[in-house]
Parts: sequence; structure tokens; C-alpha cells
Amino acid sequence: MPRHLSHGHAPLSSRPAFKQPVWDLPVRLFHWLLVGLIAFSWWSAENDHFDWHILSGLSILTLLLFRLLWGLFGSSTARFANFVRGPSHVLRYLRGGWHGIGHTPLGALSVIALLLATSVQVGLGLFNEDDDGLYAGPLANLLSPDTTDSIREFHELNFKILLGLIVLHVGAIIFYRLRGKHLTRPMITGSAATDPAAPPMRPGKWWVALICLAIALAIARWVAAGAPPFGS
Amino acid sequence: MRIALFAAVATVVLASGMVAAKPLTKGQGLAIMHERHEGMEKIGDTNKLLRRELASDNPFMPTVKSSAATIAYLSKRASGWFPAGTGPELGKTGAKPEIWQKPQDFAAKLHNFQAATQVFQAAVNAGDTNAIKGRYADMIHTCSACHDTFRMDMHH
Repeated sequence: MPRHLSHGHAPLSSRPAFKQPVWDLPVRLFHWLLVGLIAFSWWSAENDHFDWHILSGLSILTLLLFRLLWGLFGSSTARFANFVRGPSHVLRYLRGGWHGIGHTPLGALSVIALLLATSVQVGLGLFNEDDDGLYAGPLANLLSPDTTDSIREFHELNFKILLGLIVLHVGAIIFYRLRGKHLTRPMITGSAATDPAAPPMRPGKWWVALICLAIALAIARWVAAGAPPFGS
Repeated sequence: MRIALFAAVATVVLASGMVAAKPLTKGQGLAIMHERHEGMEKIGDTNKLLRRELASDNPFMPTVKSSAATIAYLSKRASGWFPAGTGPELGKTGAKPEIWQKPQDFAAKLHNFQAATQVFQAAVNAGDTNAIKGRYADMIHTCSACHDTFRMDMHH
């Protein structure tokens, strides 16, 4: 089966592969900032720096909100409508019958799972508080201490799920790398060798990215303030 | 039942303080650890409700007052919660061995907490909202200052 994966070994077609843009700057920044902030959140929680942990979580909230908006109004490869696909597309991809750019139908499942698990993690964190009530997410005051006690358990459980998905994600990248396909480098440079027959990426507009960022920051700040008028 | 237990533990604590040289029996040590655990948990639970009140625009003052009194009272009781021999070597606890390795530092931090609960309670009784919030933040700071060094995670 793996030898049928598109872009696996070079001679998929007689057409020479050439490099073209696949990931815009906002997508790449989102990805690597998310990597750094998830690592930092993990470290800060393990080492009891909960004030930093909460700030890190709010930063991730901002990133997620931005990514959601960029998934609606961004470059073609960033848009959910262009990569969220059903099982038939995944099967066709596995049989080698997919010739697009950006997230493959299988990779898209991974992206969606990672985004969902991260969103759940941040969502739970907003309502979480520690054992002593010394550190609390900005929305914890909306719930009773009994409820936040349960949320703390789910926050810890969901992190294990998120870690599992990250391991799977990195494992898949290594798997493709062993088969000759670089996935990490395009996420850094933005360009990849692609099928010339595939339609090129239609880049989003920089000012749309700025508007998305401004909206994401505004919503995150509102949440951080306890979501007035509901929070107080 | 609870009062009887408190009285029993208080007696043990006082006795242990007076005859410091005599080590605790295992039963005495475990009884103190139990009171310590319940007491710390009560402080935490009280704080969670207190923080919710102080976060609101219109705190319910009777809750704030009773919470301040509970925390001030329990903070005083904490002086008897950490006799030598009640660390992880005796039973399950969130108390780190450092408490008994750096007794002066621990005593200073515990004293800071006890003093801050008094100051907070005084502010609550005086009734100025801004002062209450300020002294609350000070008090919370003394909790974390001690927990950062002397407390470990305890999942129960």
C-alpha cells in the first residue's frame, strides 16, 4: 500500500516536480508558535509556573482563533473548505489518486484532530483552577469549585490525548521522510516540490491576515478579562 | 466528632510542642497529618469561594467575612501541623522533606502567611473594597511563596 502514496517515491509521473508555494507565512507562523507554546505550556505546568501557564494558554487561544478565521478567509491551502474531506477522498488518496497541494485528505484528518484536541484543551483550561484556588483560568469563576475540580481532571486527561496525537503527527512525518518526502522543510520555507498539474496556491491577502489577527486578539482579551458582562 | 478530633489533635500538638525531644508515635503523627490535610483542603476550598466573591462587582460580604475568619483561624492552627516526623516518610502527604531541612525558612514563610491572613481579615472588617482586594492579593502571594518551595503535588 505505501508505495501507492502520492509523492512517495519520485517517479509518480514523468512530469518533473518543481518547487512552488504551499504554506503561506500565517500558516507557518501559526504552526511553529503553536509547537513552542504547547511545549512551554507543558513545561510550565510541570514546574508549577501556573501564571505563565495561563498566559501561554491564552496565547494559544489567540492562535486558534486566528487559525479559525484564516481557515475561512486565508490562502487556498489554509482554508478548511479546501482540505476537510470525507472518507472517499482519503481512500482515493491512499490509492494514489490525489494530485492536489496542501493538506492531503489523510493529513487533513490529523490537522483537524490536532486543532480539535488543542481547542478542547484551551477551552477546559479557561475554566480550570488549581487545588488551592490560587491560580484560575479567566472563566473559572463562572463555575462552582466542584465543577472546576472535574474540569481539572479532564484538562489532564485531554492533554494525554493531545500528546498521543502529536506523537502520531511526528511519527507520520518520519514515515514520509523515510519514503523520501520532506514535510518539515516546506513548513519552514513555505515551498515544496509539487505536481505541476496541481492548481497553485492562491495566496491570502496580508491585510485580511491582519484583520483576522486583530479579531482574534480582541476575542482573546475579552475572554482573558473574564468575558464581561457574564464573568463578573 | 469533629470537635473531639480537633481537641484530641490539639492536645497531641501541644504536648509535642512542650516535650519537643520526645518523638511522636506513628498514630500521633498520622493524626496530625490528617488534620493538616483536612485543614489545608479547607483553606483551599474557602479560598475558591472567597476568590469568586472578590471577583464579582458586588461581593457578598458575609461570605467574605466568614472566609477571612476561617482562613485566619486555620493559619494559626498550622503552627502545629508540621512537627518533625510527619513528612513523606510517615505517610502520603503533599509536604516536602524540605520543610524539615530548612526549618527557619519554612517558619518564616508560615509566619508571613499567618500575618497576611490577619491583615486581610482587618481589611475585610474595615470594609474598603480596594483595600480588601489588595490585601487578598498579598495573602495569596504568601500561599504560593510557601507552596513553591515546600509543597509537592498530591493527587487524591
